[in-house]
Amino acid sequence: MAKKAALTAEEKAARKRSAKNHFRRYWVLYAMMVLPVIYYIVFKYLPMVGSVLAFRRYRPGMGPFGTEWTLRYWERFLKDPAFWSALRNTVITSVSNLVINFPIPIIFAILLNEVRAKKFKKVVQTISYMPRFISTVVVITILNELLSPSSGMINQLIVACGGEPIYFMNQSAWFRPIYILSETWQFTGWTAIIYLAAITSISPDLFEAAEMDGASRLQQIWYVTIPSILPTVMVMLIMNVGHLLSLGFEKILLMYTPANSGVSDIIDTMVYRVGLAQQNYSYATAIGLFSGIIGLILVTSSNAVSKKLTGESIY
Amino acid sequence: MQKRYHTAENIIFDTIVYLVMFFVLVVCLVPFLYMIAVSFSGMKPLVNNEVFLWPKEFTLESYKTIFTYPNFFHAYGNTFIYAFGGTAIALVMTSLMAYPLSKTFLWGNKFFTKMVVLTMFFSGGMIPTYLIYSSLGIVGTRAAILMPFAINSFNLIILINFFKGLPNEIEEAALIDGLGYFGILRRIVLPLSTAGFATIGLYYAVFFWNDWFNALIYLKGSQYPVMLFLRNIVNGTMAIADGAGSAEKTTMAISLKSAVIITSTVPIITLYPFLQKFFVKGLTIGGVKG
Repeated sequence: MAKKAALTAEEKAARKRSAKNHFRRYWVLYAMMVLPVIYYIVFKYLPMVGSVLAFRRYRPGMGPFGTEWTLRYWERFLKDPAFWSALRNTVITSVSNLVINFPIPIIFAILLNEVRAKKFKKVVQTISYMPRFISTVVVITILNELLSPSSGMINQLIVACGGEPIYFMNQSAWFRPIYILSETWQFTGWTAIIYLAAITSISPDLFEAAEMDGASRLQQIWYVTIPSILPTVMVMLIMNVGHLLSLGFEKILLMYTPANSGVSDIIDTMVYRVGLAQQNYSYATAIGLFSGIIGLILVTSSNAVSKKLTGESIY
Repeated sequence: MQKRYHTAENIIFDTIVYLVMFFVLVVCLVPFLYMIAVSFSGMKPLVNNEVFLWPKEFTLESYKTIFTYPNFFHAYGNTFIYAFGGTAIALVMTSLMAYPLSKTFLWGNKFFTKMVVLTMFFSGGMIPTYLIYSSLGIVGTRAAILMPFAINSFNLIILINFFKGLPNEIEEAALIDGLGYFGILRRIVLPLSTAGFATIGLYYAVFFWNDWFNALIYLKGSQYPVMLFLRNIVNGTMAIADGAGSAEKTTMAISLKSAVIITSTVPIITLYPFLQKFFVKGLTIGGVKG
């Protein structure tokens, strides 16, 4: 017994010595992290702590954490029809966006991979990335011009065909199609990078064998390409579901007009409107926190599903 | 083999593939070409809606106008400050965090990595963030753009994975030669990581260059970047030109807007093709595995 205790004491001493050695050897590495860790605490974690404002009353000049505890903001927004309409808009827009813009990059990547002229393939690929680098402000300005009822290219075409000009950017019915198509335009080429990487890592032997067996190009896609990239597709799908509530808020804010507010007011724009424009800080924080928590639940549960089904997880 | 390849089905398939690719090219390029054409066109063809993909009555008038417009020049300069300053700060801060985190033997490595990953899935939200920044006293100063975005957790993880992939032996040799970890980071790791830095540097630069929303909520008018300037013209908060009649005014606005779009988009669009081979690799290293 005594011997054992002595041994642990010795072990403790050894560990202490090794800890000392560890820090003497690596202190520079720890020192490097000091500034970034302070950055994380101040700019990322302090605002997280600031979310308590959802349960506290904000008074101007009394600090960002509020003054007294209260649940009134939760009661208020749960009864607010504007909140439920924003939640519904968020879900409808993001689900339709997922349904349309999830498969398109996959199809694009598969077809691009079938292009045999290498130079042409490269050119298409490079140009397809371009919209990803353009600011949302520019995208929306261009859309405004192209879709303008008086001078826009599209409406001139409609008028030339004998139709009436359509106020695309100002009608609720057109809001979602325009949002979703502009996302297609901006991100198809970019998202396809990941699928193209997955396709190029398929062993060429598989395609050769399929060709030997007389498979046409279409059959090769169906029986070789698609099954091979399925794990990547699954991971991407799960990641997308996890981020379902985070729409392109900035783009929607730019597209927001009083006329289409019935469908374009999503949770994030509501938080912006109520919080920063009307300075109703606690109320907006409560709404933001609610959607943040739902987002967190979506991410963690979709990640758990992914781990179980594919063995892949994103963290 | 050759014979089997040229079946009717395969030829139809090839035709469809090429048609789709041409469609993609046209859709990606036309909006941009249209804006270029408008920006170089004269007033008359614009009023009569005659401009399509090629400038008519070629003129540099709209570019001359915007470059004599002091607000535009100022905003353009601001954008350069944010893009260069912000990216430089971000690259330094991100590598200072990424290098230690790529050493899995460090104590607390798991803890700090978790601390980073958590911020990718949950954040303080718009309002608390705004209130904290404003109580830090950075709202209304350029620091509100330059500091809060110094580390993006996705970019950090790309860089960590990149550092992890570097060969260990060189570092060990340098340690034996008496080089400290700072020296190793500066003289060995950085030169070996051009691809990694090109990737995340491009991401940061694009973010700072294109941002307008953070500028809107955190900055004062004289500090606005060009994207916010453009947004304010578009939604009518800011008048850009005084034309004679109202029709002339809107037409003028269109050609000026396109000139602003072209001048503010061209720098980033000419940059990315050169970095393409890097970011494609970077995205596939860091993207899925994250």
